[in-house]
Amino acid sequence: MRAGFTLSDRAVGLLFIAPFLAAAIFFMVYPVVEAIRMAFYSYNPLRPDLSTFVGLRNFEFIFADPLFWDSFWQATVWTLLSIVFQTVFGVAIALLLHQALPGIALFRGLLLFPYIVPTVVIALIWRWIFNPEIGVVNYALQSASLIKEPIYWLSTPSMAMASTILLNVWKYTPFVVICVLARLQTVPLELYDAAKVDGAGVVRRFLDVTLPQLKEVLIVVIVFRTIWTFNKFEEIYLLTKGGPGTSTFNLAVYSFEQSIANLRLGVGAATGVVMMVMLSIGSIIYLRVSGFGQDEKSP
Amino acid sequence: MTTRRIREPSELQIGRRQVLTGMAAAGVTASTGLGSAFAQSTRTGVVRVWGEPGPYGGVAVAAMNEWAQKNAPGLKFEIESIPWDGVYVKLMTDLAARRPPSLISVESPIAMQLMAEGLLTPVDDLVEKIGRNRLVDGVKWEYWGAWKGQQFIIPAHHQPHLLLVRMDIAKELGLSDPDTWDWNDLLNAAKTISQKKPDMAGFCMALGRNLCTDYHFSALLHSAGGKMFDAANKFEVAFDSPQTVEALTFVKELQAYMPKGAVEYSFLQVVDAHVTGRTAMSFYWGRTLGRAAEEAKPIFEATEAFNHARHPTTKRRSNWNDFQGWCIPAQNNPFVDEVKQALIYQQTSKDWLIKYCHSLMPNVAPTYRDVADAPELRDHAFYKSKPRTVDTYFKTSLAHSSSTANELLQGVNPLAGIVHGRSVLAQTVQKVVIDNMKPQDAAKWGAKELSDIRRENMRLLG
Repeated sequence: MRAGFTLSDRAVGLLFIAPFLAAAIFFMVYPVVEAIRMAFYSYNPLRPDLSTFVGLRNFEFIFADPLFWDSFWQATVWTLLSIVFQTVFGVAIALLLHQALPGIALFRGLLLFPYIVPTVVIALIWRWIFNPEIGVVNYALQSASLIKEPIYWLSTPSMAMASTILLNVWKYTPFVVICVLARLQTVPLELYDAAKVDGAGVVRRFLDVTLPQLKEVLIVVIVFRTIWTFNKFEEIYLLTKGGPGTSTFNLAVYSFEQSIANLRLGVGAATGVVMMVMLSIGSIIYLRVSGFGQDEKSP
Repeated sequence: MTTRRIREPSELQIGRRQVLTGMAAAGVTASTGLGSAFAQSTRTGVVRVWGEPGPYGGVAVAAMNEWAQKNAPGLKFEIESIPWDGVYVKLMTDLAARRPPSLISVESPIAMQLMAEGLLTPVDDLVEKIGRNRLVDGVKWEYWGAWKGQQFIIPAHHQPHLLLVRMDIAKELGLSDPDTWDWNDLLNAAKTISQKKPDMAGFCMALGRNLCTDYHFSALLHSAGGKMFDAANKFEVAFDSPQTVEALTFVKELQAYMPKGAVEYSFLQVVDAHVTGRTAMSFYWGRTLGRAAEEAKPIFEATEAFNHARHPTTKRRSNWNDFQGWCIPAQNNPFVDEVKQALIYQQTSKDWLIKYCHSLMPNVAPTYRDVADAPELRDHAFYKSKPRTVDTYFKTSLAHSSSTANELLQGVNPLAGIVHGRSVLAQTVQKVVIDNMKPQDAAKWGAKELSDIRRENMRLLG
């Protein structure tokens, strides 16, 4: 009788991981490799037959393009301010929702609403909300006598940037809230009891107990939110298309414009490669400086 | 998998319905010698057609489906509407992804870019069948798209933007006849309205970073006698000129009397501003009147269209005319033959062409004389209530036609589509109206962008 077919634990492990590995190679590794390859080519999407190797010329182009640097600085401002506000509001709201109040679960559920609604829908709604003539924001502010003249939210460079940040903060603060709230619910109450016994007030307990307990989760949340926000395309494109002028261009919008509007797919790919390098370096430095994971390594 | 068999005309069996329908277009078909002889196709599937927003694309496709019912019952033509500001991106991404539709209705700058890139099927055979001598006076086939002796585009309609004026306001404020205005009169009228009507802008045009701004500004540029490229001199860049500076300066002067939000306005917002009574004058195509008739009857009744104000010295009244046409992608297009047949059917049916024009009056103007002169075309409420305005859109505007694809009608320009893809004109305007750059410097910036486009795309100039 033939012996049953058996696999070693190692082989079973590899078998289980194979589909995920294949998916990762197909959907992540291949596009990244292809983008890196394309960054060294002149590639007009309408005329792929004219594709030629150009070496570093695409990178030279973007580094010499003032719009690239404008986009970089605007992306930095948009990302930093978005993350700061998301983190502050996220922690504050999580602390509020951590209270044991009747019906609090309903509020926690409602909080997810901005995060659930598709960005396209949100951007279109916000365009109406921000409409200077018929938008509800100006109407409310004027009704409350807070402003006399309508604010042109999307028509002036500074207000357009503020509006895109506002949208990003509104949409993604719930993500921070969820992560922080989950961590808060696992903080041992004994720590607070001990702090109270030591005479610590509310602020002291927050600074010395809550915040250190949230440190690890906040580091992870901030890294992810920074990467996602820096790469964000659809919110800006749908809300302002990078305008007025190019005042809300970030590098993702710049890459898109170069690829599709300017038919310079190689330049767009080179921009993507530069963004990847910037974010990788930034993330590594941040994780090192913040000391992420050092607690686990400590004996 | 679809099967394919095109029957020879001699094999055709023409049914009674076909004959009756053919009779409806008898005047045209007889003149073209086409008759109702269409090749039969046994192929099946959906024929994707791209059009701009508006009912007329649907009317054209209905005509094509009528052809399909008789000659290719397994085929169904379906319209996909592409928003104006998304046309370029949608076209480029789908063509790059090698999944173009089988038929595209598009404005002449993009059509000419596609044509010069070699992405379209020549349609000279269709021109003969549709009727080479049918075009209305003042236009040529090449305005829609011809390149190196071959026709690539079949006219869908012509479509100028003009000066829309609320005549009730003009009368109330004692303004002169807008048909006599030059740029100074237009500016003064905008100023007077803004000063005397506190809740109303004197004038509105698009100033956003979009196609509409490109189109609005180019009319002023051409009126001033300026242009982007010199078609007579191998398309050398001609944008850094006193004429460009003058047009930019004029926009800046007008901006003082526009809605403050105009710096982000595109097509829809300009229509909104006029239809909601937030401006007394605007640059726009006939669509504004259609919207006003539906949503703001008093504004519809008070609004009339005029050829643009004259430039004080050149006396030009250049408008922007879309010269919208049908083009057939050459690559990855499984239905070229069927699309050609359906296009011939639609283009030779006076009934369908009149329905096409009537579907959004007076936005889409007839391109063929037999349609333009047909009494049935005038059998529409707009034509009866505003004959002068409709005739201005349909006929008298043609004497002032221009576009970036054929600047001052001096030569087909295959670079214009790329210019609009990059929003070069709109960005130049925004340098002046948002960044407060001097018009001279903005003109230099625009000229550099245009030089880059020319240098990168010399291959298109042949």
